[in-house]
Amino acid sequence: MIRRKRTCWTAILIVCVLLISGCSIWPGQDDSANNKKVTLTLWYWNRSIDDKLIARAKEKFPNIELTAQKIGGDFKAKLKTTLAARSGEPDIVALNDWIMELFPSEDRFYNLYDLGAGDIESQYLPWKWKQGVTPSGQMIGFPMDTGPTALFYREDLFKEAGLPSDPEDVTRQINSWDAYAAAGEKIKEKFGGKVFLTDNIGSVYNQVLSQGAERYFRPDGSFIGMDSALVRTSWDTSIAFKEKGLLANADGWTPGWNAAMNNGEVASFVGAVWMKQVLQEAAPDTSGKWRVARAPGGDGNNGGSFLSILKSSEHPQEAFELVRWLQSPENQLEQYQTLNLFPSAPGVFDDPAMKEKEPFFGGQATGPVFAESAQEVPDAFFGERYPSVHNIITRRLNDVAKQNADPQQVWTDTVHRVERELQR
Amino acid sequence: MWEHRALYVAISPFYILFAVFGLFPIGFSLYLAFHKWDGIGVMTYNGFNNFKYMLTDAEFWQAVGNTFMIWIYSTIPMLFFALIIAFLLHAPFVKFRTLFRVGYFLPNVTSIVAVAIIFGALFANNYGFLNYLLQSVGLPVVEWLNAPWGIKVAISSMVVWRWTGYNAVIYLAGLQSIPQTLYEAAKIDGASAIQSFFRITIPMLRPVILFTVITSTIGGMQLFTEPQVLVGNDGGAGAAGMTIVLYLYRESFINNYFGYGAAVGWGMFLIIALFSIVNWKLVQGKSS
Repeated sequence: MIRRKRTCWTAILIVCVLLISGCSIWPGQDDSANNKKVTLTLWYWNRSIDDKLIARAKEKFPNIELTAQKIGGDFKAKLKTTLAARSGEPDIVALNDWIMELFPSEDRFYNLYDLGAGDIESQYLPWKWKQGVTPSGQMIGFPMDTGPTALFYREDLFKEAGLPSDPEDVTRQINSWDAYAAAGEKIKEKFGGKVFLTDNIGSVYNQVLSQGAERYFRPDGSFIGMDSALVRTSWDTSIAFKEKGLLANADGWTPGWNAAMNNGEVASFVGAVWMKQVLQEAAPDTSGKWRVARAPGGDGNNGGSFLSILKSSEHPQEAFELVRWLQSPENQLEQYQTLNLFPSAPGVFDDPAMKEKEPFFGGQATGPVFAESAQEVPDAFFGERYPSVHNIITRRLNDVAKQNADPQQVWTDTVHRVERELQR
Repeated sequence: MWEHRALYVAISPFYILFAVFGLFPIGFSLYLAFHKWDGIGVMTYNGFNNFKYMLTDAEFWQAVGNTFMIWIYSTIPMLFFALIIAFLLHAPFVKFRTLFRVGYFLPNVTSIVAVAIIFGALFANNYGFLNYLLQSVGLPVVEWLNAPWGIKVAISSMVVWRWTGYNAVIYLAGLQSIPQTLYEAAKIDGASAIQSFFRITIPMLRPVILFTVITSTIGGMQLFTEPQVLVGNDGGAGAAGMTIVLYLYRESFINNYFGYGAAVGWGMFLIIALFSIVNWKLVQGKSS
């Protein structure tokens, strides 16, 4: 009798568990049934890998059963939750430029050097490669695309304001942030304040910062300090732009930004290569009027992604072969053509496909401008606390730009907040 | 108990689900509030440091202040409009009442993200619809999303738009439960419509008003999606749209201080509890 009761209770319990767990009844059954194919799961987001390339990968690696999952929504939050739960992790995962936030958890990833990444290191841009290597020397991210920066400007507006308008002249003459600001004052004068030099204060700060090497932290984790030359220069330049009235206060990723671009309210901005696509979608009416020159003050990088292999994967070697193939220089070149993802393998920069003329940019071939920029990006160390420090500063800069807060007072307050942040 | 096991099994799904998705997270968040955790790595015991940091964090107090301001901006007009709408819906001279009831309730079930996007287009600094209207009648434009009060007005208007109909339906139910005989008696005694509204309707509605005040307090203190979609994770210009939950979200899921986020959650719990008690005393106080 007792035994029957126990079986009865066990049955009820199982039913309940199944109900709660959403009825994924027999996981892992497929594995034993199939003909010893290696199953690999890949997480990526829309437009980070071309679906056609994934289809080709399945043909290329007949021994791999590849499940490629496009993760929508907040990718980072989903990945972190999965890592925290320690179950349901993919084998391969795409990471964005927030890869440094995961450096403290480097033990959750395979060291790609152990899997043979060292052999092909020379094929990739060194600064990009280093961004995927943790301070202790473990390589957790394999280079995907990059985001070299350049100056996007309206040729017609520059010409009207009496500024150089040919990309090479612009590169040569507007070569520093001071020269850029001076150009902005000419534009302001010419158009009676109806056209602004650039979009917003945060973008100025970001771009000046992205051109330097020493940001907030040293590779040993120590804080450089708010009085580092780069931080001060970036801050002062942004404040100067605000005080000279060169900012349209149009924030990125808002309808207002799109409208400002489309209406010709903004004459230029420094942005990464992927802004080409953003701009084309935001400002279709201005097609043919934009050009791209090298950024004033130097070259930098915004964004770009990586592929990682999680420690939970049972088939790291196969996963690495797949990653290596997906991000081979030839395939990166193909992704540039299909998805506008800028290659991190400089070997393909001379390919004719990178030099195609673009009607939106008045027939200019912008590829070579970004290619040159990509080769000059400084080595920069970010550190896992980069985002929180960086956010505090850009947030406070916005108070100066939009609420006319006193820059000196905001600076003192920002220094205080950053110090507090670092004590946590 | 044993002989009724079939009954307990039948009601168990609720308790099991509650334990897994309700009780466990509550307990875990309390545990977490005393730890330092980035969400992935090891948890380290942190004592009361998270709470200390919270109490001395200017941004936290700003978020508390913002939340109260938005609550005041939204709740007072919302309950006022809801009462008027309910009164009208209850009035015998209004036709198509079901249609109006559905109409007023509709905003409540609209996707809140879609609402925030529409309101973003209304209040946008440049090319916003409201500024277009102001300009077309010759008034200066208002930088709604740059001014601290403008952001709060924009967020509050979304709350008002969404919840007025909901509260109106609740008030309507309250109105319908007031016995008609009271009004008839008042009429015989020579009371005017206004007198019977203030002497009969409002006192009889007091429990319902109390209910809506408490629910709006809880809802108002938990405001998140509206500001997040309208002004972003940092609360917009000058963090004027930073609410307590938005702050909790940013600290936990953007900055990865999960322990601290849990502490903020408990801080918020205390604030809501205190504030609800105060409200209850205020609204209930007069009748006793």
